[in-house]
Amino acid sequence: MGTSYIYKRDASRLFIAMRENGKRFKIYLPKESKPVIDNVEQDINFIEQSDFQYLFEWKGKRYNCELVSRDQNKSTVKVNGVEYKFSLESLFSYVRHGMIDKDGKQIDENNILSPMPGKIVDLFLAEGDLVNVGEPILSLEAMKMQNEITATCNGVIGKIHVTAGQSVMKDDLLVEVTSIDV
Amino acid sequence: MNKRLLIANRSEIAIRIIRSAHKLGLTAVVLQSDKEPDALYLQYADEIIQAKDASNDKPIFLDAEKIVRLALENNIDLIHPGYGFLSENPDFAALCEENNINFIGPSPELIRNMGIKTIAKKMAIEAGLPLVPGSEGAVRDAKQALDIAKKIGYPVLLKASAGGGGRGMRIVEKPETMERNFKSAYDEALAAFDNGDLFVEKYLENPKHLEFQILGDKFGNVIHLGERECSLQRKHQKLLEEAPSASISPKVRRKMGKMAVKFAKSIGYFSAGTIEYILDEDGTFYFMEMNTRIQVEHPVTEMVTGVDLVDWQIKIALGEKLTLTQAKIKTTGWAIECRVNTEDPQNRFSPQTGFIEKIRFPQNTNVRIETGVHNGSVVTPYFDSMIAKIIVKGDTRQNAINNTLEALTDFSLVGLKTTVPFCRTVLQDPEFVSARYTTRWVTHFFKPDMLENSDDELIGALAATIIYATEYLQIVSEAPASRNESLNVWVLNKRINK
Repeated sequence: MGTSYIYKRDASRLFIAMRENGKRFKIYLPKESKPVIDNVEQDINFIEQSDFQYLFEWKGKRYNCELVSRDQNKSTVKVNGVEYKFSLESLFSYVRHGMIDKDGKQIDENNILSPMPGKIVDLFLAEGDLVNVGEPILSLEAMKMQNEITATCNGVIGKIHVTAGQSVMKDDLLVEVTSIDV
Repeated sequence: MNKRLLIANRSEIAIRIIRSAHKLGLTAVVLQSDKEPDALYLQYADEIIQAKDASNDKPIFLDAEKIVRLALENNIDLIHPGYGFLSENPDFAALCEENNINFIGPSPELIRNMGIKTIAKKMAIEAGLPLVPGSEGAVRDAKQALDIAKKIGYPVLLKASAGGGGRGMRIVEKPETMERNFKSAYDEALAAFDNGDLFVEKYLENPKHLEFQILGDKFGNVIHLGERECSLQRKHQKLLEEAPSASISPKVRRKMGKMAVKFAKSIGYFSAGTIEYILDEDGTFYFMEMNTRIQVEHPVTEMVTGVDLVDWQIKIALGEKLTLTQAKIKTTGWAIECRVNTEDPQNRFSPQTGFIEKIRFPQNTNVRIETGVHNGSVVTPYFDSMIAKIIVKGDTRQNAINNTLEALTDFSLVGLKTTVPFCRTVLQDPEFVSARYTTRWVTHFFKPDMLENSDDELIGALAATIIYATEYLQIVSEAPASRNESLNVWVLNKRINK
């Protein structure tokens, strides 16, 4: 299951870097593969680090980065002589600050409701996990058929309202999902 | 015994002159200023004179009397003034002459005449050079300036006769603002040059800056080595230059070159010099001024002509005859010079001072580097912000642009910001690539966000995230309830690169 999905479960490895002009980068640093930036795995090589300098290679070019200043979660990084300022958030603080989907409705749209009456067979994810669009969240048995209920967005699993073995009615709220597709 | 050449200058140009001195078998002597006692150029010299200028307001390079005194004490035969500082100071040249020191440059009289714009213009008119319409000489007052402006049309430019570097200069858009501008330009000129004389001329809205390199000997031989285009300026300071210029036809080039030579001959010019022209949008060109020194941007001319200008400056001063003839001067290819100034182009080019932790220059056969700094150098507030020049050649203009961009990618400096990203932006701008750019490019087209680039931005976001994540993941993994194993992003990234 799920090996082709770009996000692994570990939501603590997803960060949001935001520039002063509002431009956002969703950066996922997986344990075993290259960084995923805005849902795309990038073939960026990390060459070396010394003090506050970092050297990357990407698209056949070298990128000299220098940490210019840092104040709590704000960093100024100089890349090839030009400074860029970012404020950094972990996914959790980002969600907590309500920066994703300030419009409550949209949050609801991504929540998983039961499409039919049935019984929860299995839950594949836990609260706080990252989930990819199309990735199964739980299995629901109805009319002796098991249906995998999948995520409608890339997001983080919020509160889970059901447990395995529990019977549910149509349109019951099963799992809250907060989208990270901004 | 070798002749002894004193270089009354510092940084990259001192090193450049030392190179020529050595080629010609001269002993190169430099001045050590207490304001930068560990400067790189000192390492290249044969001898160092300690200037002991710590207690002075002005650095040794501006102290004509002291330089000449030190030169006499140290048996100096020749003085090369470089550019800036005393290079166009006629009193300094005269003082050298009086003390039997060979000043590398034209005569004091020529320096004086070319330095006073009204005199230079008068001499140019006599030689048949076209001038921007304006006042003949300095104007008495704002009222006379108004009369002239009415004749030639607005906008007009008020310019200090003794000016330079944009000081004592004002654009007057309409008659109502004349008096105010006249007063402030006058005050500024008086404070800066001890001379408040102003003249009035037509202000060209979108001009280009072209200049012809001249070489003349003491026997009346004068040639030109083609033009440079220096339209890329900010507040009258050049930032990027090229040779030749894509803005003139071969016919106009011949005409401008011929006029430059004619003018230089008519005034009896010798040494290296530059005739500056201003080129209007309609292709009309006018004489602007003559510079009587070696210029910062001289390498682009050297790159396309193969002539060593500093060698010739010294040889001419030593009384050698110019063996080059106009017919022998051929330019091949295209050269671009990028000035590396420690200025922040993201922040109104504010000067940056401090340590150069690490500097890396491009290395390629088509790249020439002139630098006054290396790893560990200090950029002080006492001197100019230009620390180096990157000069790149190509077969064609586009080829030179591409090569320059490639070279700039290989430049890096840790510690201070520079104008290199600005030059990268210029080289990719359609106005520059199409050679439409004018001296107004920075004002009309440049915005700091043009310095940014989405790939650099993404890498910056990644770097910032990794720095943040390293700490964040440590905190998370130390929390007892965490499901994370020991996580270290740097270990992670090392693993990525396996």
